[in-house]
Amino acid sequence: MSERKIWLLFLSLVFVVVLAACGGNNEPADADTNNNDAGTNNTSDKTNNEADESSGENSEGDYSLAEDQTLIFARGGDSVSLDYASVTDGESSRVTEQIYESLLKFDEDSFEIGPGLAEEWEVFDDGLRFVFQLREGVTFHDGTDFNAEAVKINFERWADPDHEYHFADEGYTYSVYGTQFGGFKGDDGHVIEEINVLGEHEIEFVLNESLGAFLQNMGMSYFSITSPAAFEEHGSAINENPVGTGPFKFVSWSKDDSIVLEKNEDYWQEGYPKLDGVIFQVIPDNSARLTALRSGEIDIMDGLNPDDVEQIESDPGLAIFERETNNIGYLGFNLDKEPFDNADLRRALNHAIDKETLITVLYAGLAEPAKNIIPPSYMGYNDSIDPYAYDPDLARELLDEAGFGDGLEFDLWTMPVARPYMPDPERAAEVMQANLADVGVTANIVSMEWATYLERTEQGEHDIFMLGWSGTNGDPDYFFGNLLHSDAIPGGNRSFYGNDEVDSLLNQAKNSVDEDERAELYREVQEIVHEDAPMIPLVHSIPVLAGSERVKNYVPHLSTSEPLTNVELAE
Amino acid sequence: MESVTPVKKQPMPGPENQEPHLTETESISPWKEAFWQLRKNKLALVGLFIIIFFIMIAIFAPFLTSYSYQTLNAADRLQGPSAQYWFGTDDLGRDIFTRIVYGARISLMVGFFAVTGALIFGSFLGILAGYFGRWVDMLISRIFDIMLAFPSILLAIAIVAILGPSLQNALIAIAIINVPIFGRLVRSKVISIRQEEYIMAAKAQGMKNGRILFHHVLPNSLAPIIVQATLGFGTAILEAAALGFLGLGAQPPTPEWGRMLSDSRQYIQSAPWTVLFPGLSIMLVVLGFNMIGDGLRDALDPKMKN
Repeated sequence: MSERKIWLLFLSLVFVVVLAACGGNNEPADADTNNNDAGTNNTSDKTNNEADESSGENSEGDYSLAEDQTLIFARGGDSVSLDYASVTDGESSRVTEQIYESLLKFDEDSFEIGPGLAEEWEVFDDGLRFVFQLREGVTFHDGTDFNAEAVKINFERWADPDHEYHFADEGYTYSVYGTQFGGFKGDDGHVIEEINVLGEHEIEFVLNESLGAFLQNMGMSYFSITSPAAFEEHGSAINENPVGTGPFKFVSWSKDDSIVLEKNEDYWQEGYPKLDGVIFQVIPDNSARLTALRSGEIDIMDGLNPDDVEQIESDPGLAIFERETNNIGYLGFNLDKEPFDNADLRRALNHAIDKETLITVLYAGLAEPAKNIIPPSYMGYNDSIDPYAYDPDLARELLDEAGFGDGLEFDLWTMPVARPYMPDPERAAEVMQANLADVGVTANIVSMEWATYLERTEQGEHDIFMLGWSGTNGDPDYFFGNLLHSDAIPGGNRSFYGNDEVDSLLNQAKNSVDEDERAELYREVQEIVHEDAPMIPLVHSIPVLAGSERVKNYVPHLSTSEPLTNVELAE
Repeated sequence: MESVTPVKKQPMPGPENQEPHLTETESISPWKEAFWQLRKNKLALVGLFIIIFFIMIAIFAPFLTSYSYQTLNAADRLQGPSAQYWFGTDDLGRDIFTRIVYGARISLMVGFFAVTGALIFGSFLGILAGYFGRWVDMLISRIFDIMLAFPSILLAIAIVAILGPSLQNALIAIAIINVPIFGRLVRSKVISIRQEEYIMAAKAQGMKNGRILFHHVLPNSLAPIIVQATLGFGTAILEAAALGFLGLGAQPPTPEWGRMLSDSRQYIQSAPWTVLFPGLSIMLVVLGFNMIGDGLRDALDPKMKN
């Protein structure tokens, strides 16, 4: 009997230890099988320091390259779809950026546009006509040629719900096309009048109304070009069989686990990409992901707890990559549902959330409190807005006036995965839950799978939800148009906010090419939105990634993702 | 511990100590004797003390701490144990001592209800299977076998996945996975009792099945059930913690110990107290129940009598 007691004691101890450590059991299953030479990983640590010192002087690298040039990029959630234009989540574009390219390309570290699949472009008639000279000799991964016809088919496919490749019957929608180009074929605001193929590699876009952000839009990953032959072959399954012109080719996708890409040997940029392949590995838990990075199973990870930044900085084998702030994390109300159609209630709750605590606790200071939905660096940011101050007493008072003095209970929908604008959503939800409890409001935290979460919030099944938005073209319209315009329902506007005045101001601003005028209009919009309070703007964060020192030439782009064309792995 | 069925360990049923009802008049009751036995067992007393201690903590939680388990205090996050915060604070600046104290309520409640549920259903099915035998036994036993074929925590996860994560559903899941453990125990006990002469006598007198079952069979199978229930308490608390750790049990802001462990594990190096105290609490409670369970088993086991 005493033998058994000791055994039990031992078991309990083991249990506690195992529990505390078991975050690590989510190892990338595919990592080993896909690494042709897993053994080299172990020896890399020693040589790291040497490589480090020498590579400091020369960006081209005195470091010697690792034999295995397969990069493993770990993240919290899986891509929703690889049909980039039909989804808006960063986990999808992170992958499609590798496979697809758009006509224009943003600079490595800004939203300056430069040549992409189009080598040159010209603007005519005060911004009503654009002619692009396309790059010659580019082929899609399936071997077919990239040409003007392919570009035309792609744009027509998004614009026309009756197009054979729009796949409307299969439930595909291209809401970002709608918000960026003012609607779809036949809509009043739709700006693209016609697309003319002028030659094999020359294409013209004719607009019926000017669009301030037209060229910026052309650089967005949403408007990349898919092989027309692939539409023919895969039909609506194109979202699982991507065929583009990008530096990497699609190999396989095992859902909620990994997406494997291999080098495009025929890539038009001579000598690129440097890597032989990329694996996007899903590891849902932040600390498990960090463990995997430390043990060398993965090379880069997104979704780092800001609390861990210090640790990583002190680790010579690891590096921190900061993305510039270009996002908003917010708590949105569903205005379609009672009682959130009540603006007094929404304003009252705005006073209940303690953003400073949120930033201290969850962002380790790598964020600033938000009062508008666009980041402060954006054109038209209205700095004169007086933010709703954190004041629980005032919040209680306002709640009482709004008729909710006896309390209020709702579901607080929480993202299941770390996002750039919110590294630990579950913890953030707990903070806000406590804030709300302070003012007599009961919030039940609800969470579900990422794709389901996005779909159900788009359908409007939620009460209050957490989400955010990262800029992908540097234009304020991308934020306003997708989050607050009634055209983006169903779509990015998950608050179901519809205000005619805001809509018309946004339309004006969108179609104007005068920067000052646009800025003024956006400032006005922010005032109305502040008053209507369809959401509680929480923070603009500085997203941080962590990676091994072996990863060279990796520059996180301001938008959520970037092609890994130049990246290579040192020994 | 499930594999040790008391039946196997017992010698041929001796006439005196097996049937308390028949011997009651002769000497002191076996229950009283068991109690004396238990008192002699130091380890069991320690266990009892631990459990009473935790029960007291759970009952008087609001009087033990001046903090609320939900109130945030960002300025004091991740503070080590001090006079102000006895067990330190977690990453949201909540007092860990307060959360442990309130967490005791959750864990004990889960243990109690899960075990009670499992005990009622398990005993009922076990009695049916053991007493009626034949196809009833066949059916019920095979169901138990199927359930026992799954690793229990996996089965619990599956059940919670179907019902949705919440404390209540975790409790139901834990109750369900423990049903066959009680069921099999009771069944084997009942099978041995069924052949006793006094049962035959009762039958011969024309007593109804129900009456025989609940007036004779059940009281005589109580000893192993009590032992198993006590041990089951510990297991149930451990399973609840595991589910909580996986995010499938109590939802925030409920201060459930397993959940606290999971939420704090990224701070295991920088702020070890955030995991130490919840871990220690789980360990102590489970240990306490196991010690009592062991003591009880020894006390109620006639073979152990000197």
